[in-house]
Amino acid sequence: MDAVIDNIDVILRGFGATLLVTLLALVLAVVLGTATACFRVSPLKPLSAVGTAYVGMVRNTPLTVIFFMVVFGTPEVGLNASFTAFAVVALGVYTGPFIGEVLRSGIQGLHTGQGEAARSLGMSFGQSLRYVILPQAARDVVAPLGNVCIATLKNSSVAMAFGVFEATAAGYTLANANATAVIQILAAVAVGYLCLTSLAAVAIETVEHRVRIVR
Amino acid sequence: MPTLVELRQVNKYFGEHHVLKDVSLTVDTGQVIVVVGPSGSGKSTLCRTINRLEAIDSGEILVEGTPLPTEGAALARLRSNVGMVFQSFNLFPQYTARENVALAPVKVKGVKPSVARERATDLLNRVGLAEHADKLPARLSGGQQQRVAIARALAMEPKVMLFDEPTSALDPEMINEVLDVMKDLVAQGMTMVVVTHEMGFARSAADRVVFMDDGRIAEACDPEDFFTAPRTERARDFLSRILPH
Amino acid sequence: MSTLLYDEPGPVTRARLRSWSVVALLVIGLAVGLVCWRLWGQGQFEEDLWAPFLDEPALRTGLVGGLVGTLQAAAMAMALALVVGFAVAVARLSPSRVVQAAGATFVWFFRGPPLLILILFFFLAFPMAFDIDITPFWALVLGLMLYNGAVLAEVIRAGVLALPRGQEEAAVALGMRRGTTLRYVLLPQAVRNMLPAVISQMVILVKDTSLGFVVSYGELLRYGNTAIQVLDNPIQMYLVVALIFIAINMSLSRVAHALEKNPVASGLRRRRTVAESR
Repeated sequence: MDAVIDNIDVILRGFGATLLVTLLALVLAVVLGTATACFRVSPLKPLSAVGTAYVGMVRNTPLTVIFFMVVFGTPEVGLNASFTAFAVVALGVYTGPFIGEVLRSGIQGLHTGQGEAARSLGMSFGQSLRYVILPQAARDVVAPLGNVCIATLKNSSVAMAFGVFEATAAGYTLANANATAVIQILAAVAVGYLCLTSLAAVAIETVEHRVRIVR
Repeated sequence: MPTLVELRQVNKYFGEHHVLKDVSLTVDTGQVIVVVGPSGSGKSTLCRTINRLEAIDSGEILVEGTPLPTEGAALARLRSNVGMVFQSFNLFPQYTARENVALAPVKVKGVKPSVARERATDLLNRVGLAEHADKLPARLSGGQQQRVAIARALAMEPKVMLFDEPTSALDPEMINEVLDVMKDLVAQGMTMVVVTHEMGFARSAADRVVFMDDGRIAEACDPEDFFTAPRTERARDFLSRILPH
Repeated sequence: MSTLLYDEPGPVTRARLRSWSVVALLVIGLAVGLVCWRLWGQGQFEEDLWAPFLDEPALRTGLVGGLVGTLQAAAMAMALALVVGFAVAVARLSPSRVVQAAGATFVWFFRGPPLLILILFFFLAFPMAFDIDITPFWALVLGLMLYNGAVLAEVIRAGVLALPRGQEEAAVALGMRRGTTLRYVLLPQAVRNMLPAVISQMVILVKDTSLGFVVSYGELLRYGNTAIQVLDNPIQMYLVVALIFIAINMSLSRVAHALEKNPVASGLRRRRTVAESR
């Protein structure tokens, strides 16, 4: 237990980096995901094809491979950045399609009749989107979006292998340095993650419950 | 009475399936047309072509003498003048009954929100739901939801109302409350096209009964004639199966 | 057909869609062109970066070896995870509160932290704390087993809970005991229902085997990393590795799709939908 207490600042600093990478990656992923969802529901075939291709390729590629591509591939074409920036880009590019699919199914999961009813009342495309479809989709995506956020928090651990000193890296380093306290240290990090994911789950549940529409 | 809606030689395909075959029909102002027929005969599709929820492949649809617009603002404007009531109600679940009714007048017609709210209250009163105005659709029974949907369509002050099997999704004990509202509309002289299986309503409220079979209008006549002396074999067959023994 | 978002397009809309599609194609072409131009400018299309994939037998043998490593770990982990997942699901469906709670805790505990922590735990804790030698293969497989076991337990439980109540009631009405009901009535139906979800989890598991590189397990990605030391072609190598993963996972997804359309399974589903709608 001493090893954990003595190094608690290192572990906490690690979780700070974890949260930073996660949040920035989520910002990038929301931008990419929104674009993907718009592309995929667009009536323009080329755009929906691009959206489908991005989703199909990235979702079937391991996050680690994307990390390697970003961290070792982009310098080959003359683009350089910090390890943290690379991690944010890799995690964001990987998470984008997942967010995109959540948003898309939030929209397309609605009953066709909702759009028909809006249009039958004389609403334009923009009006039916704004007053009828998006308000419903927005509520429906809370829980699945929250799950993507939790998954991203866990996925950020891959950054440990790419020069980012986040929580898992902290655990790994400390465990290697304290051979007698490996279990305690890794358990402490695991509990840290559990606290974050459980807190996030409770928060999502609360928000979801508040905005849920009964149909 | 002037012609309000006219269909001329309308044809419609779903892929290979020919769902409307040379359908011609006129609806005069104030007239109530009830469309009946076996399921799959194209009666719902017919109803949905009138506000272009289904596009047609050939033929012509005229509303007040002008061709039905195919898209854009003109189509939206036309739809704001044609009320539509769906089998599955399609109320907006995130809004209360009153908000459902007031939404389109405010957003589409630019009516002042306070005025629209007041009118919504009146309309809900008219369909007997004054005390449910602030409830979300999920808190209402099927019959109540469908009455809100009728009020929502009426709020746009439509020239004609389309009813696409308005009672088919309802439990039997709720059918009459919806039919009563529809009969009130008939009494007030609303022009209506009603697709339904409710033969009692057809018989008492229709000015003309249209019997559809396999994508064609097989008969279009006075309800009394249709129910007492159907001319076609298919209509006799249909009636014998649907009327109580 | 009118859809949720769009009307069936009229002539003006159709013409507009056509011209915007052309614009979109041009923009996409431009973007792809820019990327290629940049790659070309940096010499990424030079032959010696790509040629080894075609004319270097050792590279191909190595990649195949790595792929075998990936598939071995994935297959072993999936088999174990199914066993664990099944056991935990049964625990969570058990009538005993204590057993239920134990199952729930298992799921909560092993699904919460990152998989990487579990893998590192086996990799570091066993040799350092217990003085037991563990190979990278088993560190990876055991980590995958616990994590995916927890996830699959939830999939299996959801599959059973999604069955119509009438099924269980009918079995009980026939005098079947709990175990018999589960075994002969509920599970066979649930298994068919949850196959698609199980296979999507398999796709995730296959991807996660690439985490084996942190414990130096010889899988596809690790082989690619080694080969890059010699060939110095990271972009090309990771692209090929990614394509192999995409190929495996898309075939898995196709199997899932085929199973969803499988006449036996879907027939079962259809009959039930009819029964429920009454």
